Amino acid sequence: MKILNNLLRSGVAALAIATAAGAAHAQTSVPLVESGSSLLYPLFNLWVPSYTATHPGADITTTSTGSGAGIAQSIKGLVQIGASDAYLSDAMVKAHPEMLSIPLAISSQAVNYNLPGVTNLKLSGPILAGIYEGKITKWNDPAIAAANPGVALPDHVIIPIHRVDGSGDTFIFSQYLAFSDAGWASTLHYGTTVSWPAVSTAIGANGNSGMVTAAAANPYSIAYIGVSFADQAAKAGLGQAALLDKHGEYVLPTAETIGNAASSVAASTPADERISIVFTPGENAYPIVNYEYAIVSSHQPAPAIGSAIRDFLGWALNDGNNMSFMSKVHFLPLPAAVKALSQAQVDKIQ
Amino acid sequence: MKFRPFRVSVLLLSLLIPAALVAVVFFLVAYSGQAILFNGLHFMTQISWNLGDLYSDPVTVSGISVPPGANYGILVFIAGTLASSGLAILIAVPLSVGAAIFLAEAVPHRIRPALSMLVELVAVVPSVVFGLWGITVLIPLIGRYLSPSGNGYGLLAASVVLALMITPIIASTLYDALLQVPKENRESAFALGATHFEVVAKAMLPMVRTTLIGGIVLALGRALGETMAVLMVSGGGINILPTSLFSPISTIASFIVSQLDSAESDPTNMSVRTLSEIALVLFLITLAVNATAKLLSSGALNVRKRQS
Amino acid sequence: MSASASLKVARSAQELRRLTISKLGWVACGLALALVIAPLVDIVGVVTVHGVAALSGKLFTQTTSGTANGLLNAIEGTFIITLFAMLIAVPIGIGAGIHLSEYGKNRLGGVIRFLSDVLTGTPSIVLGYFAYIVFIIGFGWGFSLAAAAITIAILIVPYLARITELALQQVPNPMREAAYALGAKDHTVVFKVVLPAASAGVITGALLGLAISVGETAPLIYTAGWSDFTWDGRFTHAPVAYLTYVIWTFIDQPDAHSHALAYAAAFLVMLVVLAINIAVRLVVRRTRLV
Repeated sequence: MKILNNLLRSGVAALAIATAAGAAHAQTSVPLVESGSSLLYPLFNLWVPSYTATHPGADITTTSTGSGAGIAQSIKGLVQIGASDAYLSDAMVKAHPEMLSIPLAISSQAVNYNLPGVTNLKLSGPILAGIYEGKITKWNDPAIAAANPGVALPDHVIIPIHRVDGSGDTFIFSQYLAFSDAGWASTLHYGTTVSWPAVSTAIGANGNSGMVTAAAANPYSIAYIGVSFADQAAKAGLGQAALLDKHGEYVLPTAETIGNAASSVAASTPADERISIVFTPGENAYPIVNYEYAIVSSHQPAPAIGSAIRDFLGWALNDGNNMSFMSKVHFLPLPAAVKALSQAQVDKIQ
Repeated sequence: MKFRPFRVSVLLLSLLIPAALVAVVFFLVAYSGQAILFNGLHFMTQISWNLGDLYSDPVTVSGISVPPGANYGILVFIAGTLASSGLAILIAVPLSVGAAIFLAEAVPHRIRPALSMLVELVAVVPSVVFGLWGITVLIPLIGRYLSPSGNGYGLLAASVVLALMITPIIASTLYDALLQVPKENRESAFALGATHFEVVAKAMLPMVRTTLIGGIVLALGRALGETMAVLMVSGGGINILPTSLFSPISTIASFIVSQLDSAESDPTNMSVRTLSEIALVLFLITLAVNATAKLLSSGALNVRKRQS
Repeated sequence: MSASASLKVARSAQELRRLTISKLGWVACGLALALVIAPLVDIVGVVTVHGVAALSGKLFTQTTSGTANGLLNAIEGTFIITLFAMLIAVPIGIGAGIHLSEYGKNRLGGVIRFLSDVLTGTPSIVLGYFAYIVFIIGFGWGFSLAAAAITIAILIVPYLARITELALQQVPNPMREAAYALGAKDHTVVFKVVLPAASAGVITGALLGLAISVGETAPLIYTAGWSDFTWDGRFTHAPVAYLTYVIWTFIDQPDAHSHALAYAAAFLVMLVVLAINIAVRLVVRRTRLV
């Protein structure tokens, strides 16, 4: 029993040290926790140090847990700011009318390919739907050839790579397929997880890092990868596909084409801002673009918490919403009209 | 009978284990109740899995509110779980037995602690690191030398990673047991003219058989429950049954992790309830595996008794 | 004469076969050890190389801010979660192991043993979600040390119990009989005779439990939460940081700096457990329990 005694004794000592360390970090401010989307996480990590540097006493923890967890924890009051790639559904809003979906920034996504010898691939929603449904199985399929005249497409089986974990990237990718392909819309819908059809060559990979690794390791593969990982994808030798927009043009993801998509829906964004900006009608507009949301309750348990959230989100919408932050994660600031709508929602937080 | 405070207190402590299990099972049954009603029995035999459209208004199916298109079948994940854990055990047991014997009997005393510590150290390596090693080292190897399609993700990769993770459990319990074998038993076997290897294989191994089986069952439990590493290397098979070593698979445990986040945005909560039901199924599998192991070990012992 | 000669030949042929099989057996065992060790050396090596490269004083003096700065909060958090989990689990696990080995050769013991094995098969994510619904939401504890420590304790108790049992079973019965014959009581037999004799195995079990609790990720995500600050002394309503979160989350970030921190965390996890491992063995050797 000497061991137990020793363990116990060292335990008590450790407890004393830990408590002392805890006491040293006396809290005068309101601690806020942000939890949710792994896509938004890097942006929050840029914002929080800048914000705390100019707002002494601010106490904000950022965590990456997944959009679904962020939403659920925010609704239950476990965290103050849920970060989500998806706005709340009608049913969710009906059940929790106090919850706000507030866009903070604009993200996008690339469709990457590992295709030896091909560097300028063009793809459309219906082609991608066909590939992920297992209806288009080879790179030299007539549908792909028709979209890429003059490109020597290999006679090789396509390896479609998808996310195994729930992800906002899957959400916006499947929205693009659902909005541009009626067959996909009726059977597979869209969501942070999709019931991927049985394709024997398909690979499920974990996280955006896992997507880059899997695509790089498998020639003739195709993958959808969040734009924050654009540098990694390029370093791994992956090509970026030009995607067919609503106008019938093939568009590459650039600041200009993503901006076009965002500004084309700015005017039609409703007051509660729950709207998809995937596959928008704008000209020269990249089709896979998304609002990144803070999911926040308008009824906080204490006035001090409400004002702390208002201060931080207000800062994020103004000082935080510029290219010096956004370009580091390949995001874009909100158009002015949307910024105003978001600010109006932030002001509702009590 | 005399009151024995010590025996009663350790009994009470040991009863906490079944109590915890009962609490977890009770919770899962209560939580998944509606899902059990909704899913029925074909839940276990159906291949297709679809959370449904979580962003449309829920529909009511036979009195239960669910997302439109929701359809839960878990045969694929049951198959993936059994195949990967079974294969992992097939790989791990001979390796661990060999390694433990060599470590206990053939390695010079001076380097033995270092090697055994290394084996134990593996139990400490976080499973994400195993997963990373899997995708950066193992999967390219499988893709280059074994897989006909060149794709290394799938059943084999998951099984090898699992085998690596559970080998230390089996090897270190067996190693400790081998060191405990009384000197007399070894010496009498030597006296009969047995070679060193025969002493180990015929005199010592049978003595530690229960320990070995206990270690294997523990390891199997760990393999069945492993999540992160499997998620990273298994290829995430869904809606498709594995047909070869290189087929994409999902195990029940890793599948629960991969779906939980999306399930939390289901306004009807049916997705999370169904995931709880899957956890119950995993319990049943673990139960069956343990029962089989028990039968096997007692059967083996009976045979030996008859012979002697 | 010829008969005995052929007998001799037969015997030596048989002898040769036995010797060959023995040789082959050793080769196979050595090969098995090599096959087990090689990937492990590779894994441990990769973590060590990347981890050492990322080490700096900052890791131990600063708390995390996003994916930057140090790991003080995570190191401290892992330490206290593990400490409290072990404080709960070790007495229960070893007590249960004693019961199973010494007095559990009956139907009740069989049932407990069986259910304990089933509990080890529970995926940690299920325990995590159970704790999330019961402790975090149901009891209203919020993300907290108490929920995390209890969840980890539930996770490791069955391992402790079964490994303790397996270790105690290896102690020869005559030792117990001798002690009882000298008039020793139950607890004296267990604590003075059986446990000391099996201490190596019991400690292996405790260390495995410790290793699992330091290395777990899934259940902590749903119970401990995460905090950029050090523990403030509260058992509930205060999220706690831990090292495996850093590994799990930072490794999936696009920048090299986050990856470096993730490997540093993985290396620290290994180092911490290795240090405890060595320390406990030294303590045990000094107190002459082995």
